[in-house]
Amino acid sequence: MDSEDEMAAMMEDSNDDEEFYGGGGGYGDDDSDSDGVVMDYDGFMDHDSDDSDDLSSSHLHYHHRSQNYTILDEDDIRQCQEESITKISTVLSISRVAAGILLRHYNWSVSKVNDEWFADEEKVRKTVGLLENDSPLPDVTELTCGICFETYPQDRMSAAACGHPFCVICWQGYVGTAINDGPGCLMLRCPDPSCGAAIGQDMVNKLASNDDKEKYNRYFVRSFVEDNRKTKWCPAPGCEYAVDFVVGSGNYDVNCRCSYSFCWNCVEEAHRPVDCGTVSKWILKNSAESENMNWILANSKPCPKCKRPIEKNQGCMHITCTPPCKFEFCWLCLGAWTEHGERTGGFYACNRYEAAKQEGAYDDAEKRREMAKNSLERYTHYYERWATNQSVKTLLAMLGLFWFTGLDFLFGYLNIFFGLFYSISYEQHILLEKLSDIQCQPESQLKFIVEAWLQCFILDALYILRYAEYLSALFVNLIVECRRVLKWTYAYGYYLPENEHAKKQFFEYLQGEAESGLERLHQCAEKEFQVYLNSEGPSKDFNEFRTKLAGLTSLFSVSVDIFCQQLIGAGVTKNYFENLVRALENGLSDVDSDAVCRQAGSSKNVGSGSGKGRGGKGKGPTSTSRNIDDSTHWSCEYCTYANVRSPTVCEMCQQRR
Amino acid sequence: MSTPARKRLMRDFKRLQQDPPAGISGAPQDNNIMLWNAVIFGPDDTPWDGGASSDVDNYKTIDCKLYGWLHESHTCHNLLAYSLEHSKQRAVYRTFKLTLQFTEDYPNKPPTVRFVSRMFHPNIYADGSICLDILQNQWSPIYDVAAILTSIQSLLCDPNPNSPANSEAARMFSENKREYNRRVREIVEQSWTAD
Repeated sequence: MDSEDEMAAMMEDSNDDEEFYGGGGGYGDDDSDSDGVVMDYDGFMDHDSDDSDDLSSSHLHYHHRSQNYTILDEDDIRQCQEESITKISTVLSISRVAAGILLRHYNWSVSKVNDEWFADEEKVRKTVGLLENDSPLPDVTELTCGICFETYPQDRMSAAACGHPFCVICWQGYVGTAINDGPGCLMLRCPDPSCGAAIGQDMVNKLASNDDKEKYNRYFVRSFVEDNRKTKWCPAPGCEYAVDFVVGSGNYDVNCRCSYSFCWNCVEEAHRPVDCGTVSKWILKNSAESENMNWILANSKPCPKCKRPIEKNQGCMHITCTPPCKFEFCWLCLGAWTEHGERTGGFYACNRYEAAKQEGAYDDAEKRREMAKNSLERYTHYYERWATNQSVKTLLAMLGLFWFTGLDFLFGYLNIFFGLFYSISYEQHILLEKLSDIQCQPESQLKFIVEAWLQCFILDALYILRYAEYLSALFVNLIVECRRVLKWTYAYGYYLPENEHAKKQFFEYLQGEAESGLERLHQCAEKEFQVYLNSEGPSKDFNEFRTKLAGLTSLFSVSVDIFCQQLIGAGVTKNYFENLVRALENGLSDVDSDAVCRQAGSSKNVGSGSGKGRGGKGKGPTSTSRNIDDSTHWSCEYCTYANVRSPTVCEMCQQRR
Repeated sequence: MSTPARKRLMRDFKRLQQDPPAGISGAPQDNNIMLWNAVIFGPDDTPWDGGASSDVDNYKTIDCKLYGWLHESHTCHNLLAYSLEHSKQRAVYRTFKLTLQFTEDYPNKPPTVRFVSRMFHPNIYADGSICLDILQNQWSPIYDVAAILTSIQSLLCDPNPNSPANSEAARMFSENKREYNRRVREIVEQSWTAD
């Protein structure tokens, strides 16, 4: 139980539960630059933070250090909105409705409203449609509605601040139509075209039907997020949270409460360290037809008669195009088959083609095809790896789920043991009798020992389990984050200029290290899951109970062991990734061959240390050959072409391996 | 049976009969108050007015054509009589035919207005649709049929080349006014015989 004590000791060092759960962003406090690979796991922790009325803390549930954004749910949005309205209303001494209209017009920026208002109040009133004085309806018994031209008594007529009277029925139609047309209803004005008086929420509440009032209200609240430049909706499907962001350090990563991470700038999935421009180019490329056309150009030939692209995947050179064309031709020279036969080389060769090739007649087309093929292969190389990491992420999410299910097993165990503990305490005398027989010790002493032991054990177990859960969440989160970073480095790699060999080498070196570290972690995670799955159900017999308890204890100690090892592995991997991220953010400017060699030496040592020290679950550091399947291909270091045949010389760039 | 839209349309029609603005007239079709036929007289002293001609035959032709167009709604005899009277006085007017399609959302939503006659104008599409702000985003429930037709009439001689529906006409209007006027007169003449 050594590691357990160690763990307990470490945990006593941290001040209190709050700080442990809420403050620390990662195990081991070297997190001054934890912005890199994020180990914060917001969604998991159950913050029982203060439910105070103070807005600044009540909606800052996840205030980590160096965090520049806040997650808002619907109530928070409403609250912020009400706050802004109250502020403007008091400072400018206008009604709340008018304040709402003003704010919406200036995109909910309180400072902008203040500036504009105090600069030129007249102009603002005119632009927004807020009249100074409220003209009452003319004081006559009957009025004519300007829309339907019927006359009504005065109580059936209504007007905005401008005093233009319309009957209540026409108002309802007008406001209802505007609301059904969409969020434009928030900018509604008086029906009279010469008058720009704004219609605010008070008039809508007076004149519209209940459904329409509800819709208007919803548009109003939504407008706080949509019209405000500092807030955006979380793009995850089904997520109802909004994010308030303070633009500052240049780190645009946001982790929503729904556990989806996205980039504030381009509202795509989080893509550090690659910049938004590259990301959008990459996504466009994946979806664009151009790659398909490239593939068609590279891998197919058009039928000489009907020009439809044909891909040959096997067989001889005698091609028959599909009906209605049915043209028969030779694949090699694209000439009509009627002119081919034994003389020209039979079914698998073509003399004509060979001769023409000698003369260079096919050069241009071949060249074009070759180029298309190269660019396509290069793109495919990066795309496949990007896509694999993408799908691995979903696998990881499921793995994470299984991970927690495994822990649930343990919790279940613990519950059962509690039950057993209490049931045993009722039958203690039986237990103690048996024990004293076995151990040859007085019952009273045994009793004390057993109880104390059980209690200690269970408390520790609980503590450790909590800790284990927390760590495993971090762990899974780390893997997910690393995968994401790795994925985007492939997109980055695609856009690296071909001719910068040093940069490319450095980049691929870092990437390789990071990836192998990640694979190791992955293996660890999967193996651990197996352990928990193999646990059996409990039994009631005392001996079995004892064994189970002992087994569980050792399981705990082993699992703590494993966790520690994984954490060290995670720390190492985290280092790799941080190096990668940092390098990419510096634009690979600090390329230094010596540094590369030094790093290669040092990281290998660390890697092997962690691998061998604690039961060596992971593989040793992999060779520096690149990230492709080593058994069938090797990838050239200069042009990344995946060579199959030529053992020592790269087919594409003719460089030695 | 009588919805707010229909009530309002009847009102518009009555108003049009009692107090018609110069140079426009319109009436709903017999069986369908939501679909109106209307005519706009080309404004005076513009290439749209078809040229003043004292040709009696032409006048007679106009007479019949106008009658034919409006006669689908025999409830508007007065209107017809008035316009015939008007044209007698002022020699020959060139008239342009339109349709107005209303919906039950009227007056909260504008009608769809289209020219039936072929037009050459920067803000009128080849199919006869009109690019006019009050018929789209600047619509107000206060506008009625008279107001719509009047503003279309003024659009004829005051086009807005910044939102061109007919790019050729828009370009010609900005660059070569003379050629533009010639084209307008030409089309006025052409549709004359085509009716």
